[in-house]
Amino acid sequence: MSSEERAQELIKELYDTVVNMDEEAAAEVSQTILREGIDAYQAVVNGLTAAMEKVGELYANQEYFVPELLLCSDALYAGLDILRPHIKVEKAGAKGRIVIGVVEGDIHDIGKNLVRIMFDAAGWTVHDLGKDVKLEKFAEEQQRTKADIVALSALMTTSMMAMPKVVQMVKAQNSNVAVMVGGAPLTREIAMSYGADGYADTAANAVEEATQLVKMLGERKG
Amino acid sequence: MMADFRQDRMTEEQRMNALLNYQKPDRVPILGMASAFYMINCGYTLTELQTDPQKAFNAMQWSCQQYNWQPLWEHLAHTVLGSWDFGAKMKMPDSPYAMAIAVETNAVQTEDDVWNLKMPDPKTTGAILKRMEFSKLQDEAGWPITFFSRSPFNTGADICGVEQFARWLMKKPEICDRLMRMALEHTLNVLQYWVDTFGAEKLVYFMSSPSEANQIFSPRHIQKYALPYHREFHQRMRAMGVKKFMFHICGEQNLNLPYLAEFASSADGWPHPSILTFGHEVDLEDAGKYFPDDIIMGNVEPALFQTGLPQQVYEHCRLCIEKGKKLRGGFILAPGCGLPPKAPSYNVWMMTKAVNDFGWYE
Amino acid sequence: MRQQRITNRERIEALLSGQPVNRIPLYPFILGFSARNVGYPLATIYSDPQKSFEAQLWTQEQYGFDWGPVYGYASYGTWEFGGKIKMPESDYEQAPSHTVFPVQSEEDVDRLKLPDVRQAGCLPLAMEFSRLQAEQGTPITLVFGGNFTIAGNICPVEKLCRWMLKKPELAHRLLRLATDHIVDAVRYWADTFGGEPVIAQIWEPLASNDIISPRQFERFVLPYLQESGEKILSMGVKHIFYHICGEHNLNLPYWAQVPMGSPGICSVGSQIEIATAIEHLGDMAIIAGNIEPHILQTGTPQQVYELCQKAIEAGKKAPRGFMLMTGCETPPDTPPYNVYMMRKAIDDFAGINSRGLFRIEGNIHWDVSGV
Repeated sequence: MSSEERAQELIKELYDTVVNMDEEAAAEVSQTILREGIDAYQAVVNGLTAAMEKVGELYANQEYFVPELLLCSDALYAGLDILRPHIKVEKAGAKGRIVIGVVEGDIHDIGKNLVRIMFDAAGWTVHDLGKDVKLEKFAEEQQRTKADIVALSALMTTSMMAMPKVVQMVKAQNSNVAVMVGGAPLTREIAMSYGADGYADTAANAVEEATQLVKMLGERKG
Repeated sequence: MMADFRQDRMTEEQRMNALLNYQKPDRVPILGMASAFYMINCGYTLTELQTDPQKAFNAMQWSCQQYNWQPLWEHLAHTVLGSWDFGAKMKMPDSPYAMAIAVETNAVQTEDDVWNLKMPDPKTTGAILKRMEFSKLQDEAGWPITFFSRSPFNTGADICGVEQFARWLMKKPEICDRLMRMALEHTLNVLQYWVDTFGAEKLVYFMSSPSEANQIFSPRHIQKYALPYHREFHQRMRAMGVKKFMFHICGEQNLNLPYLAEFASSADGWPHPSILTFGHEVDLEDAGKYFPDDIIMGNVEPALFQTGLPQQVYEHCRLCIEKGKKLRGGFILAPGCGLPPKAPSYNVWMMTKAVNDFGWYE
Repeated sequence: MRQQRITNRERIEALLSGQPVNRIPLYPFILGFSARNVGYPLATIYSDPQKSFEAQLWTQEQYGFDWGPVYGYASYGTWEFGGKIKMPESDYEQAPSHTVFPVQSEEDVDRLKLPDVRQAGCLPLAMEFSRLQAEQGTPITLVFGGNFTIAGNICPVEKLCRWMLKKPELAHRLLRLATDHIVDAVRYWADTFGGEPVIAQIWEPLASNDIISPRQFERFVLPYLQESGEKILSMGVKHIFYHICGEHNLNLPYWAQVPMGSPGICSVGSQIEIATAIEHLGDMAIIAGNIEPHILQTGTPQQVYELCQKAIEAGKKAPRGFMLMTGCETPPDTPPYNVYMMRKAIDDFAGINSRGLFRIEGNIHWDVSGV
């Protein structure tokens, strides 16, 4: 087998470990990939990231649910932890930087965690503030990390009321940052009325939405 | 009652009794699912909902009078809460954006914690003392006494946090089984305390199951792991003599409905009619088809009360009423889940107005 | 018994024309509360006539009260005479407030001119609001400060008080301008809608005895109130609604000399007993009041209910009629249940839940035979 074919074979195997929720196998295959000198970046992009996109599809089609997603993410992180340190820096350009958290008053973070996983998988630099995050922390963290996007999550109708204030705080500090929101009680219409730039109704399409927002920011700067 | 509406021809009790006997009431009743909203309506805090049963009772009674809603069978807050009762560190709603008591640290973190879990005291743990006070106020008022817990599956998930539960369910379901077993036994211990204090015939059991929603778990997981515990729960609840049951089938549960319907129609199923409440995700007509022998309740989307225009809320209520009035088992108008406590009052009042305009059985 | 149903507009018309009503009318004086009630920002009550009207009308429908909607605020006069106000923004602001007074110095008084009522300050917004009132058939009200209150909004009231004592000619100049402005504004409304449907609503908090003495009221306030009152009524306006907010007990003999129409309407704060208001003004005005706003906001529902009961029992003796009203604006954050208590008290003591036919002194009786 040629080295290219062998690389494809192992990357496919890595892909399958994530889709099949096999954390141990993901770690083993990742080690094998390194041992055989296969490019770690290719393995991450075509193995892990691509697998999570597939997982996202399965979730959207109601074939996978949250438990499956969580185990897929365990496999993802098992592979990422091994491969990421070996990615050559010049290839590693992050797709973007994002601050994410569940707004003050709300402790429901499964949705946010799933979104974080998708951003990690897609190669973003993620700064996760956790849950029940005081409003001013979002703007503070954005300033500290120079994030392009601030992503707010809420499940409760009381905590969604905090979102317009956070949007205001973030934009007052830096108008060239996009804010996106998500969570069960929200819609795109409500998001826009809050002053947000973007909205995602599932973890599966959050990354695409954020990518478009970064593009929009770039065009605005240019 | 506010405004100048049609006069009721039945009392709240008569209206509920009509429904429970498969008879048409004078009009569609309204159940607010609004314990937090009642507090704000009367100038109280959400912390007081947890700590001051007298204020919570007053707020419920007064607000139901103001809005002309059904106070009977309305629930307060959880009698049994898996997280709190099994030792989680809890936080009172201390921010203007917090709606309810919340978990700061879960009761269990590791597998060993689960195996070492001890059964809590059914008379003193968590919120039980406060809920008992509230139940006594209901009893003094001659109201049915509501007992509120989540399902055994959900309560078990609350003990460790739903994310951890989901992982264990996939990899080590025996741990989840242990949690559900502890949850069921504890819930029934507390229920026995209520039965011993008030008598089974006065109790209304209100159960919710938000973590059984298909936004989290697949229907095959619910069928395999949750339903057996529902079965056992109902067998034992029946044996205790508790006959009145409300089930809040919360969130996106369309894929679960066939399994729940099969269970409901079996000999082990819940009593009929029970009151089944649904979120906006489940169409009321579908609910009626799956559960023809039960009273269907719902299902105006809660966020709409907070963010929608009054006309939108009114229209949604009208649609719910038009569908609900046709249901064989009977209908109660309600939000699809807890009413947002800070929803504009005028939007909330749209339920009252819509029932006045469309909800009469002539 | 057959249900006699009349609309709230019919009830107000009956009240104003001395006809029987089936329950005591209610006016909780809710501006910012209405915004909260329907989920609008509080500032829209003052900055957006359409939303303000909607919020109040919907709230009126929900709570079953009778008077309103209205447009107005206590710092009227500042903006109209060339100063600046700001709309309420923070959680703790209830109404527009002055930021720059038109008059800061004595020289400013000489330079002051009468505003163009078609353009000045909030008057275009108020006119837009009144067109909505006309369309919807609710009372067409023009709300502004009384002569002294407008003067105290043109220059800071402490300065006005000093000038009253030391340079009375300056105080009189401001009061002259305020009076002429009031007449101009009402004339504009009367020309637009006809005199008869217009009700001039005049708020006079700064002339209370919390600030000036009854002697000062007699000298600096009464003549101007009499002049503007006569001129307003001569335009065909039938009723003037005076909201005499605060401690006015010692002014009441003077208020009794102010032309109010036939009848006028006089609303009082909790500082004035309803019986006292009836004693001084009952022959010439419908009495309204007097539920203390801070009790609404912080009191128990039972306290609110008892206050309303007391006011209702006293108000039934008003010969020209009575309207249950708050003593001043209901605070925006009042628990809704407390607002509901006002209507409940009416239903229980002078409306649908009460029994029998009330006959009271004077020529007004509350006919509840139909309910």
